[in-house]
Amino acid sequence: MGDSLTKVKITTAFEGMPDARSLKTYMSKGGYSALKKALAMKPEQIIDEVKQSGLRGRGGAGFPTGMKWSFVPKDDKGAKYLICNNDEGEPGTFKDRYIAEWNPHMLVEGMIISGYAIGATKGYIYTRVEFFDEIRWLETAIREAYDAGFLGDNVAGTGVKFHLDHYTGAGAYICGEETGLLSSLEGKKGQPKLKPPFPAVSGYLGRPTIVNNTETLATVPWIITNGGAAHKAIGTEKSAGTKLFCISGRVRKPGVYELPLGYPFKKFLEEDAGGMLPGYKLKACIPGGLSAPILLPQELETLTLDYEGLAGAGSMLGSGAVMIIDDKQSMVDILRNTVDFFHHESCGQCTPCREGTGWLANIMGGVASGKGRTGDVDKMHSVAKHMGGRTICALSDAAAMPTMSIVKKFEHELTAYIEKAGKHA
Amino acid sequence: MSGAPFSAGLAEKVKGLLKRYETKRSAILPILHAIQDECGWVQDHHIDILEKDHGLPRVHVKEVLTFYTWYRKSPPRPFEIQFCDNVTCEIMGAKEAMAKIQTHIDKYEAQMGEKAPFRMIGVPCLCVCDGAPAMLVNKDRHLKVTVDNVDQVLAKYAPLPK
Repeated sequence: MGDSLTKVKITTAFEGMPDARSLKTYMSKGGYSALKKALAMKPEQIIDEVKQSGLRGRGGAGFPTGMKWSFVPKDDKGAKYLICNNDEGEPGTFKDRYIAEWNPHMLVEGMIISGYAIGATKGYIYTRVEFFDEIRWLETAIREAYDAGFLGDNVAGTGVKFHLDHYTGAGAYICGEETGLLSSLEGKKGQPKLKPPFPAVSGYLGRPTIVNNTETLATVPWIITNGGAAHKAIGTEKSAGTKLFCISGRVRKPGVYELPLGYPFKKFLEEDAGGMLPGYKLKACIPGGLSAPILLPQELETLTLDYEGLAGAGSMLGSGAVMIIDDKQSMVDILRNTVDFFHHESCGQCTPCREGTGWLANIMGGVASGKGRTGDVDKMHSVAKHMGGRTICALSDAAAMPTMSIVKKFEHELTAYIEKAGKHA
Repeated sequence: MSGAPFSAGLAEKVKGLLKRYETKRSAILPILHAIQDECGWVQDHHIDILEKDHGLPRVHVKEVLTFYTWYRKSPPRPFEIQFCDNVTCEIMGAKEAMAKIQTHIDKYEAQMGEKAPFRMIGVPCLCVCDGAPAMLVNKDRHLKVTVDNVDQVLAKYAPLPK
């Protein structure tokens, strides 16, 4: 059983340090020694170590990282790719940005090790275009790693080949979905692809490709240095390690916090984030980015921040974005805003998503502007119910889940709003 | 083909990008970024140049240009504002700050009879929610932009109408 209260700095190790982003600072604290250790290991040993560590994808889906890597066909001698999904876009999330700001070399080192483990000789970091400074910092780190001989045809003099480049997105939430990202990297519209085949078998340009989130890859050097077992000892049985949590809304100290998984929600809100701002009370919380079903204060009382704790509460850990909704907020506005977002970001290729998000946005637009009708709340629920599990990617589900949870938990507030507006009209 | 050709620098950049990735097609997004950075927006004749001089089929270029919201298909104003109107920013006062910006823009255009130097659109989460409400003015990121301080932020770019 792991420890869920002792804080360990893995992906925030350089937070607040002067000149934190430079290779010099990184090397002075033992940077790239994990790479040297990894290069002396066999690729399978690295995959085993990551499997033992219990590391799960930190972008939102939580798929076991080592297992994902093991799906890459070993007998395939052709080109393989490792892609860092740095297309942070889940509303409420701002943790990958933090890694670029404080630890870009940790990501680069993690990518070289991971690339070696899966047999990839080329990697890309795909970042959303609006992260202008962050892109510059990542490109600098890549250049420094090339200059130091950690990237290229002869990584650290071992004969291992790994090249790394940066790729900039162009404003599309859907490119955070791994196959949408691959379409984008291929120079196409960022529409997700039907799975299977999964990217590990047929990804970028039809070649075996692993797409991992920034935080996931940045954790790899620590695992190699300290061992999978040390990582497994942090957190809970099913949720090993630390996670970057982003807390926002009317709290005293919004920001990024690295916490051991299994950390109590109340402790996080009250102690780490300093509690609610004076004059505001907690009304609800979207605990894992906008796609996560909403939770009420009574559901948050004993909640622990881990995959199983959030799933048990009927929501999800997602990207670790804890969005605090205070008592001054109208759930009509929150729901309208939520469905507008998903409508705007639906890529349009699957009918249930394209039409479903459109209907949700239309109905809520009417409700919010005071033209709601009796039955709109039921209609929202009915539309959302038919959007899940019927599409190529999870965006449709991601729109349906928060909608259904808000409609269910705040039906009284939505209905009262519609009735009140009806009387005024 | 009408319109100015690419500058020597841009043409070189495009050639370099076409060689940088595994396929020429993968270079389309970076090429459109380069064009927009230099020319402000992507014009029809740019697509002609990419097809005729660089061998990129216009259907591939237009697919990218029309799918991604970052690329401009019309000339920009000197200061393009992208205000995040997502949940956390709205909670923290984005709507009120945006309304104030729009009032300035409308007032400017009514008073001067010409287009304001600013234009604003609402955009999805910029992923800086710890600094909400957030906005971009061209490529500058501004955090904690509220109805109380938005005028000071904008005044750094252009005088506001009286």
